[in-house]
Amino acid sequence: MALAGQAAAIAAFQFLLLTSPLAIVVVLSLVVGLLMVVLFGYTSDQKAIRVAKDQLKAHLLAVRLYRDQIPVVMGSYGKILRGTGRYLKLAFKPLLYVIIPITLLMVQIDRYLGQTAIPVNAPFLLTVQLNGGDGVNGVTLDLPSEIAMTAPPVHIPAADEIVWRLVGSKDGKYEVGIAGAGQSVAKSVCVGSDLVRISTVRLRGHFWTRMFSSAEAALPEVSPIESIAINYPDRNIEIAGYGMNWIWLFFILSMVAGFIFKELLGIQI
Amino acid sequence: MKRRFGGGLHELRSAGTGPFGSAQGRLRPVTTRVLLIALIFFPALAHAYAGPGAGFAVLSSFWAIFVAFLYSFYALMTWPFRQLFRFIRRRNAYGKATFERAVILGFDGMDPELADRFMNEGRLPNLVKLRDKGTFSKLRTTFPPISPVAWSTFMTGVNPGKHNIYDFLARDASNYLPFLSSAEIKGPKRHIKIGKYSIPFGKTEIKGMRKGTPFWHWLGKAGIFSFVIRVPVTFPPEKFQGVLLSGMCVPDLKGSQGTFCLCTTRASSDKFREGGVRVPIERRNGVCRSYIPGPDSPLAEKAGTELRVNFEIRPEPGAKSARFVVGSEKFALKVGEYSEWIPAEFKAGLGFTAHGICRFYLKELSPEVEVYVTPVNIDPGHPDLPISHPVTYSIYLAKLFGPYATLGLAEDTWALNEHVLDDDAFLAQAYGNHEDRERMLFDALDKTKQGLCTCVFDTTDRVQHMFWRYLEEDHPAARDVPHSQHPPVIQDLYERMDRLIGRVMEKIDDDTLLMVISDHGFKSFARCMNLNAWLHQNGYLALKDGKTESGDWFEDVDWSRTRAYTMGLNGLYLNIKGREKQGIVDAAEADALKGELQQKLNGLVDPASGTVGITGVFIADNVYRGPYTENSPDLIVGYGAGYRASWDSVMGKVTGRVFEDNIKAWSGDHCIDPRLVPGVLFSSHKFIAEKPAIVDVAPTILKLFGLALPAHFDGKPWNLAAKAH
Repeated sequence: MALAGQAAAIAAFQFLLLTSPLAIVVVLSLVVGLLMVVLFGYTSDQKAIRVAKDQLKAHLLAVRLYRDQIPVVMGSYGKILRGTGRYLKLAFKPLLYVIIPITLLMVQIDRYLGQTAIPVNAPFLLTVQLNGGDGVNGVTLDLPSEIAMTAPPVHIPAADEIVWRLVGSKDGKYEVGIAGAGQSVAKSVCVGSDLVRISTVRLRGHFWTRMFSSAEAALPEVSPIESIAINYPDRNIEIAGYGMNWIWLFFILSMVAGFIFKELLGIQI
Repeated sequence: MKRRFGGGLHELRSAGTGPFGSAQGRLRPVTTRVLLIALIFFPALAHAYAGPGAGFAVLSSFWAIFVAFLYSFYALMTWPFRQLFRFIRRRNAYGKATFERAVILGFDGMDPELADRFMNEGRLPNLVKLRDKGTFSKLRTTFPPISPVAWSTFMTGVNPGKHNIYDFLARDASNYLPFLSSAEIKGPKRHIKIGKYSIPFGKTEIKGMRKGTPFWHWLGKAGIFSFVIRVPVTFPPEKFQGVLLSGMCVPDLKGSQGTFCLCTTRASSDKFREGGVRVPIERRNGVCRSYIPGPDSPLAEKAGTELRVNFEIRPEPGAKSARFVVGSEKFALKVGEYSEWIPAEFKAGLGFTAHGICRFYLKELSPEVEVYVTPVNIDPGHPDLPISHPVTYSIYLAKLFGPYATLGLAEDTWALNEHVLDDDAFLAQAYGNHEDRERMLFDALDKTKQGLCTCVFDTTDRVQHMFWRYLEEDHPAARDVPHSQHPPVIQDLYERMDRLIGRVMEKIDDDTLLMVISDHGFKSFARCMNLNAWLHQNGYLALKDGKTESGDWFEDVDWSRTRAYTMGLNGLYLNIKGREKQGIVDAAEADALKGELQQKLNGLVDPASGTVGITGVFIADNVYRGPYTENSPDLIVGYGAGYRASWDSVMGKVTGRVFEDNIKAWSGDHCIDPRLVPGVLFSSHKFIAEKPAIVDVAPTILKLFGLALPAHFDGKPWNLAAKAH
């Protein structure tokens, strides 16, 4: 029984380890590093990239070899700039293949790892942006019982904004209702410490902006409300005592993974 | 249950005073949008955001620009100080120079008589311009007229007694065996045995055997920059102010002077006489597998444990082309086509890898499969041995132009001699190398506005060696082809070199001296002479009892009864007591024996034709002066036009016949009486010189740059006719 308990504890610990933000970023970086290198290899002109890189290196060496000959140094510098342009041009096509899926993937990952949910009993701001008119004073908030307002709302007529200071008393995902000009809409609020999908803002229209920054349906077109935003805290992933946004960690780890895989697979990047 | 709260009257002039800062919700979409635009349209750091491929692209390019900027900035900032330093040290390097720039094109083996003939036929308009405006003269060569000897004299301005190069090969008096005269390569002395490995510790030692100081070192000391490209006997490269790519005498990755490989499905136990190995191809299920033999493993306990690179050939339907897989490289070849230079990495284990490059030539796919592989050259982009100064120069050229031949004797004359390559395949290879060399020359010319640029082209030598048979009517090596059908290969060669000169002339002005020189001329090689056979027949060389001939390197020679022997191309040695291991000739008798041999050999007639096979025999003491004369042969044999030492004689073999026809493709030569094969001297400005010699080039260049001549020089500078100082 004790053994089973230990095994369960280990399994739970491992599960926790695997589902921790750090573990997710590490695994994600390795997988993305591999996939992107392979994709880059298949969609690029490998020979042309190799030649372009070699030319760049040659001009760099020329600067070193002929450092006493200023015209040669300057000429080589110009060739390096041109060579860089040529190299980036060659990298552009495979980058297009790479950028679209990875951007969409990162947007989705960012909804889980970019911010943390609002901690219990910690105050947060809910900001409603109106689309002009004089409806600022007519907007009301409909709060669930687990969320309370800790101060009167602040109206900013110049910016058509109303800001509420709220606090959540219990873990969970809630809906806050906002009513104004006869319309009623809702905004999700996540409270607690779990790894949950977070939508920092709900928007009206703005298709591309919604795609990249909102995880909720659009506000009705007829609504006087332009956006409803919550200032969720940014999530920092701790590495050796340093906290950083997951993007930076992903950037570093995927680069390292990419370097390893490109060597193993013999792909020019 | 939900609670409802009304909006109040509190107003704030600005948002963002809460505990979490500003209106993030509004900023984030903007940021994201900007990011996306940046991702798509601007190659900036934002790319790094989108994964490793983009990250590498951006980092690599920015890194290149950043490093280049740092280098450039450093070069610009320190340039005035360096110039000032030089000015203080040497005043103005070019203050006394007659020319700002000197360009020396070395056309190995260009013959003055052929050049004159082709100029008169109107084939060489650019050489005619040089002749009419500047100088055209014969250029006296060295004793003997062999490229490593003559080019060593060219660069050092001294006779072989002072630079120590007398032939490609020198002999070890302790065992009568040959060794390469120009460089000695020794592996690390210490090894540590771990399991099946014997791990070397320490560096490979490369010792240059050529003595003397090349004139570009003197120029460098005076602050004059030099480009030196593929001048023979510059391996290992020495430090000086300039850049240098080593030429003739650079080994291949096996350490030989060029070992080609014929991979074949044909069963044969024959070995190639010269420079090649035969490797079987295994054919199974339509896939052919073979390997490239490489260097010995540095980790193996037993010497001769060869490293290999395996490769596959997959013939396409129709047997006209095939796909090759060599390591990670894949390429297709048609029959009769060369590949690009392909990397060949020979892995020994424990991270030891020898980096080579080679080219594949698909000879045949049906009924048999045959592939010729060039000798594995040292990879210039990843040199395991130093082949340039600085090391980065060979890498620079490889990155700029792609891989290129680094082997000293890069044109595979052995493969043509052995009929592994035909004429066309050989020429394609030779001119491929030549074009690489041209690219290097023009890159150097573009970068040399002041100083020296010298480049040696071997093509002239190799093509004349291999195609002289088509130049004359009754050469034994071309008797099966009517003279009217002989292709004009050598004429084409001279025309090609003339066009090169034309392009160089477009790059220079009156403040540049252009010299075109050759180290020696050329003559027919129709008859071979085995001098060891003559020595044997005349009682100077004895064979072991019962033997009538000897194998290579004096295998069956009885040294206790031998007074003289020959190896290499022109050298004849006495078996001197106390010097040679089994010497029998007293030093006191040596002079008399030299005189006797000189008298008997000089004017030796070929009984088959009645022509003189040897026109001069020179006693070394009379032609060499300097500290290294003890390493020279005792006599230098000058063969007559049409004659040369036989291949057997060169390799220390004793045969039954003294004279025989030369039926090999190697049908022209210059290793004869040096008086018969002077080189050429063309120049853009007129020189006044009586009987100019190759030994004069170094002092002439130093004088033209206003430098004092070292006292040990043997050459005399030429005077310039017209150009004012």
